[in-house]
Amino acid sequence: MITIAVAGNPNSGKSTLVNAIAGTRLHVGNWPGVTVEKKEAIFEYDGKKIMLVDLPGTYSLSPYTQEEIIARDYLVHETPDVIINVVDSTNLERNLYLTVQLLELGIPVVIALNIYDEAKKKGHRIDIKSMEEALGVKVVTTVATERTGLNHLLTAVLKVAGNSSRYYSKQLDYGEDLESVARVMERKIKQNYNFLAEKYPLRWLTFKLLEGDTHILEKINGDRNGLCFDEVVQHLRKTYGDDIESIMANVRYAKAAETTHRVLSKPEIRKIELTEKIDAVILNRFLGVPIFLALMWFVFKFTFDVSTPFVDWIDAVISGPLKRWAMVILGMIHAPAWTTSLVTDGVIAGVGFVIMFVPVIFTIMFFITFLEGSGYMARAAFVMDRAMRAIGLHGKSFIPMVLGFGCNVPAICATRILENQKDKVLTALLIPLMSCGARLPIYVLFVGTFFSENSGTVLWSLYVMGIVLAIVMGIVFKRTIFKGEPSVFIMELPPYRMPSFKNLMIYTWERGKHFLVKAGTYILLVSIMVWLLLNLPWGVEHKKDSYLGKTGQVIARVFKPLGFGSWEVASSLITGVIAKEIVVGTMGEIYIEKKMVETTEQKTLLHDLKECGISFTIAVKDSVTNVFSTFWMKSISIGGDKKLTPLRTVIQETFTPLSAYAFLSFVLLYMPCIVASIAMRNEFGTWKWVGVSFVYQIALGWIVAFAIYQGGKLLGIGIG
Amino acid sequence: MNLSMLKPGETGKIRDIEVRGSLKRRLMDMGVLIGEEVRVLKKAPLGDPIEVTIKNYNLSLRKKEAKVILVTTAAL
Ligand SMILES: Nc1nc2c(ncn2[C@@H]2O[C@H](COP(=O)(O)OP(=O)(O)O)[C@@H](O)[C@H]2O)c(=O)[nH]1
Ligand SMILES: [Mg+2]
Repeated sequence: MITIAVAGNPNSGKSTLVNAIAGTRLHVGNWPGVTVEKKEAIFEYDGKKIMLVDLPGTYSLSPYTQEEIIARDYLVHETPDVIINVVDSTNLERNLYLTVQLLELGIPVVIALNIYDEAKKKGHRIDIKSMEEALGVKVVTTVATERTGLNHLLTAVLKVAGNSSRYYSKQLDYGEDLESVARVMERKIKQNYNFLAEKYPLRWLTFKLLEGDTHILEKINGDRNGLCFDEVVQHLRKTYGDDIESIMANVRYAKAAETTHRVLSKPEIRKIELTEKIDAVILNRFLGVPIFLALMWFVFKFTFDVSTPFVDWIDAVISGPLKRWAMVILGMIHAPAWTTSLVTDGVIAGVGFVIMFVPVIFTIMFFITFLEGSGYMARAAFVMDRAMRAIGLHGKSFIPMVLGFGCNVPAICATRILENQKDKVLTALLIPLMSCGARLPIYVLFVGTFFSENSGTVLWSLYVMGIVLAIVMGIVFKRTIFKGEPSVFIMELPPYRMPSFKNLMIYTWERGKHFLVKAGTYILLVSIMVWLLLNLPWGVEHKKDSYLGKTGQVIARVFKPLGFGSWEVASSLITGVIAKEIVVGTMGEIYIEKKMVETTEQKTLLHDLKECGISFTIAVKDSVTNVFSTFWMKSISIGGDKKLTPLRTVIQETFTPLSAYAFLSFVLLYMPCIVASIAMRNEFGTWKWVGVSFVYQIALGWIVAFAIYQGGKLLGIGIG
Repeated sequence: MNLSMLKPGETGKIRDIEVRGSLKRRLMDMGVLIGEEVRVLKKAPLGDPIEVTIKNYNLSLRKKEAKVILVTTAAL
């Protein structure tokens, strides 16, 4: 098998190229333990088995960003057979800076001179032959969006891998001063640090030791004495008069510049480019922020309003026909009652939960891929950075935070647009404070019952409470957990480009699938567990005697000072771990003890199928009308649900307006739901941050609810 | 004089980078090298960060980071 690693600058069209080559064979995952996407594909070309690995986009191979570390670790430890270096033809010099570093590895390189169409359109002419001479590697022009040059590229790669190419990889000449130093050091390394020389490419190792690369230095405990290091540095300083890192960066950039001058000829007069014209409007001093907010609003509305009818449809199908037919089938095979209950209320309900996220996740992934590929994401960060910095966040954090109001799950997935681990984690920790759509049913029930006169204000106050606490917690985290972590904002604003539709679809599909597969397993487990808690010991008469009820009785004490210390409420809150809207359902079940009246109406399979089809068309229609009909969010409108009257009566007896409000703030804050937790675990590869989130949110929820209830009681508000 | 002092439309030549370690490294990797010409394009709507052109591409950075990049503005 031939292993090919694809490396290149961000925005060089790497993803598009990889998708064009691998298509649906692409598999999206994460690099072990980190939040960076890993894309791989195995396929055959020309009778040869190929494994394609897409490395994260990087500007350099220094060990400072996570992406860089992953890319270089892969390259030096796994030593792929060939590196495809994707180079943006319209921005040769900066792209070739990475190429120069790749060549230090001694791994065969083939350059994909991508976005060649744009370079031609600009009147840039690139002399391919002399580029191949200068760098000693094969160069193939490609236009990834139009899939041109792909066969040439793969053929060239196979030729290089089979050792039948004239071009391979060349050791660039860094000038006599540096080269003589390198020779001395290489000799010393072999003498004194042979264990390293066996593990890493020698030339690369030499320069890393020279630069004082922290990761490599660790391996020799920071002791460079065996390298005649002092003399070497003295010598270089005398010639260049600078620190070693600057010398290396200068030498490498000089190589990139020299090559660029040699191969590129472009017209004297530069046209004003489209990107400049667009930016004059989009980044305008007055229009910048409104345009950004309008765009966010559109994305939000589109995502949630368009997907809501489908979510409802899926919900209806699963809880209606699917459940019914499962019961019929289980009845036919004479399954015991508990099996039927487990399958329908545990398994099917759980799976249904995951599937309900499908529309939202896919829509959001689509938008994110589009915003990233088009170049707008970087602008969004540019516009919002000043505001977000105040709470220790990055400009790009705004987008996931806003999405959090619709649903925390895609919002947490969206933190992957951030580059820095600290920014990602901090954003993800604050997202659960954004009041999502699933909390709305609880608000509606309680606000409708207790605050029907000023329901809007009360509801609004909950959303604001979440935002204010996010700001507070952002500042707290910045000063505690993330103390001293430098926050930098050095970001390219790439030219606007049109993402290809096919590319968008493939990517959306892969990202969505990755999430669903992972989430499905866990959610299934948790919903089975909750089912067990609620129904065991088997045959309990009273929910009070079920394990859930017993647990509720124990922890109810904790809620006493908050004004809602009954076991019923406590048990409902436990089930809220699956999703917050379930709290209402559990309350209904516990308080009202309704005996499920089995629908005896006999429906044929055909009838059900027809029903599903019809309701699907209605869903499509609704989602389309939702886009155009209203300028307000469908998903955040408070529709009073009058059907729950018996439950409302019970609630009215159990809560006072004050304890109801304390309860609502607790529900808002108390923990991320299971799906959000899994999204967090997926993104960060560890349960650690999920743990942090649970602990701080429960504490925060308790403190806030306590303050509200006790404060209100002291002031004598809303007790009656 | 440092980069954060230049107004949109003004050009400078990088004289020195007054910082060490990873920030300097990052800047250099992005092409912010001594002797390089840099032009300020615009400020973000909220006044910070700024956008500059360097090495034929557009880069944005916060004023805090621009402050460590010393420039000369010889009449060009
Ligand atoms: N004109 C043109 N656009 C391209 C080409 N390759 C990619 N793009 C566009 O460049 C943008 C960035 O591409 P992407 O694959 O996301 O870049 P990545 O950051 O390197 O993964 C997208 O809008 C692509 O559609 C190309 O060969 N020609
Ligand atoms: Mg990409």
